[in-house]
Amino acid sequence: MSVNVPWAEKYRPRRLVEIVGNKKAISTLMTWLKSWEKDIPNKRAVLLYGPPGVGKTTLVHVIANELGYELIELNASDIRRAEELERVIARALNTSSLFGTKGRIIFFDEIDGMSGTEDQGGLAKIVDIIERTRIPVIMAANDPWDPKFRTLRNLSLVIRLNRLRVHEVMRILGRICMSEGIKADPAALKAIATMAEGDLRSAINDLQAVAQGRKFLTLEDVQGLGRRIREYDVFTVLKMLFSARTAEEAKAVLSRSAIGYDMLIQWIHENLPYQYKDPEELWKAYDALSRADVYFGRIRRTQNWSLLSYALDLVTAGVAMARKHPYHFVKYQFPKRLLMLSRAKSARQLREAICKRIARQIHVSKRYANAEIIPLLKVIFEANPMMGAKIAKALDLNKDMIDLITGDERCTKAILKNMRQIEEEKEEGERKPFSPLFT
Amino acid sequence: MSEILWAEKYRPRTLDEMVNQEDVVRRLKEFVRERNVPHLLFAGPPGTGKTTAALALAHELYGEEWRNNVLELNASDERGIQTIRERVKEYARTVALGKVPFKMIILDEADNMTSDAQQALRRIMELYTATARFCLIANYPSKIIEPIQSRCAFFRFRPLSKEDLFSRLRYIAEREGVELTEEGLDAIWEVSAGDMRRAINTLQAAAALGKVTAESVYKAVGMAKPKEVSEMINLALKGDFVNAREKLRELMINYGLSGTDIIRQVHREIFSARSSIKLPDDVRVEVADLVGEIDYRMVEGSDDEIQLSAFLAKLVLIGKRLRESTRSAI
Repeated sequence: MSVNVPWAEKYRPRRLVEIVGNKKAISTLMTWLKSWEKDIPNKRAVLLYGPPGVGKTTLVHVIANELGYELIELNASDIRRAEELERVIARALNTSSLFGTKGRIIFFDEIDGMSGTEDQGGLAKIVDIIERTRIPVIMAANDPWDPKFRTLRNLSLVIRLNRLRVHEVMRILGRICMSEGIKADPAALKAIATMAEGDLRSAINDLQAVAQGRKFLTLEDVQGLGRRIREYDVFTVLKMLFSARTAEEAKAVLSRSAIGYDMLIQWIHENLPYQYKDPEELWKAYDALSRADVYFGRIRRTQNWSLLSYALDLVTAGVAMARKHPYHFVKYQFPKRLLMLSRAKSARQLREAICKRIARQIHVSKRYANAEIIPLLKVIFEANPMMGAKIAKALDLNKDMIDLITGDERCTKAILKNMRQIEEEKEEGERKPFSPLFT
Repeated sequence: MSEILWAEKYRPRTLDEMVNQEDVVRRLKEFVRERNVPHLLFAGPPGTGKTTAALALAHELYGEEWRNNVLELNASDERGIQTIRERVKEYARTVALGKVPFKMIILDEADNMTSDAQQALRRIMELYTATARFCLIANYPSKIIEPIQSRCAFFRFRPLSKEDLFSRLRYIAEREGVELTEEGLDAIWEVSAGDMRRAINTLQAAAALGKVTAESVYKAVGMAKPKEVSEMINLALKGDFVNAREKLRELMINYGLSGTDIIRQVHREIFSARSSIKLPDDVRVEVADLVGEIDYRMVEGSDDEIQLSAFLAKLVLIGKRLRESTRSAI
């Protein structure tokens, strides 16, 4: 075979026995396909999902081949507008098979790659096809948890393909090396396998990059490759963290994060309740975050930065190991607190100004003024606008300040009215002593 | 006429006006007569007259000149070493005006000073004794470092007696033309726990509603409390963490409350007989322990919202356990 053929393609499994890992998922899929031989099963579609490079597409091809099905395949590179789909499927179904096989499978690959605008109506059409189909439908996706896939998920038998284990990837890399006549140091293969994070395709690509044309492969050769670490956006980082199976995996997330740890903590904090629905998990994760925060406080006070690693262990591994249940994807949210803080900035400054006035006049701290006196003023302003107006004058509060305290426009108006009244009475009072002169 | 809050309006202006703390007053009057004051440390629970005594002492010492000779700082707001180095030192080193040869620096809530700031203060107290005397005010004198304590004359302010407090409240009510019932007084005593300032504030809030009765006192106190605190606790106990945290954010961001303010209100709420939070007593104890732990972690830590969220997460767990145990009991 030509040197130019990617090894990932060259060594793509052709038969079921060559497929590594995910035994349970494969047998579920087999059982479901075989059930079609008797009757149309309850679920007419299978949704295969899992991270890239674990063999979703390969599995469907191999299984179809082994069981003698013909695949009608559509992937992200095909146009998937509703009418387009209908046309392709109809043509496929109406043409008798050239190969004389016993049946066909409709296979929608990469459905999460469907674009909302270009493939308008495509998803609805897939749903429609599943509801009507008399032949098996299989779909594949990386991340099927977007709400727009909800109907599809409900209609389908959902089967998860896991990341491959390091030793599984190593075994395949070893086989490839043998076929290519390369003597490889197991440590080198392990390094490649570990770095691939369960993505077999990228492991094979990496192997080809360092080993092609060589007779020997050492750990040293592989280390040049180690630098090719990608930075991930925060959504991916959160997903990696929350799905981490080992403390080590969770800790590795930090070096991959495109945002700093302090910001990452805010994201984790925001998303914990969405990720951890089980109160046990939620508390364990928050306990870890809270303990990490205690370290951050000590670091800030003592400038003892050697404590940082303990804090980060808790932020990553501590949070990830709180998980009891299987990982499920959730739509991660931007930290709402940061939005609230920036929106509330001017109100905060106004509050600060009020507290300063109160503190100076009645000899308390600004904090006490805020926590104890402002609530008291609110009660007085609401219940007794005249008493409130007198106090507002003494503290020299303006309309905005009064408004912040009362939080109620009507109440503010009542205070302001009373303040004007006081003002008028005062002016009259000042004029009076002189009035005898003019009478 | 404009008027400040009653607690300020009726603050004693002279040492003689102070209704309690006879020992303290007697010794302070001695200092006034001698026109010499050592460094002072006033310690005692809130609302027992510490700040009032310091201000009254300054009035009597300097008379009309007092504003020119007194620097009043609240260490809760300016607790860092920077303030001590710059403002206090600058003030302490300049010569006093008038007949008294030194100025007075009142450091209120001094127990909230950082230890760095206290170390700096210790130096300044020594260096500028000739031109400045300090009056440190603290709830917890143990939080003042020992070298400072040893440089100060120590005054302990006793909690107010019920009689002292009541007679002051009656006096104010009479002057303000407010009707005040015995039950009203008892209710104020209960919510103020001997804190005169809180008592007078409560009296004024209740008076704003009309006649001061037990009912109006509790109503005023209830109105003053942000309802979000009990709502937050109840949401968490019900298992709705996301909305409980939303309430927490309202308290912190919209009300500008610190984590410590909130955890204290939570504590009050957990044990208050009039609270909407219903918990078996053994669980109240468990929650109180948790409150203490979180309070401690906030003092040690750096992000109050995360600490309080951890608290809410534990409440969710406790709430779930409670529901399960009632279910199994049935």
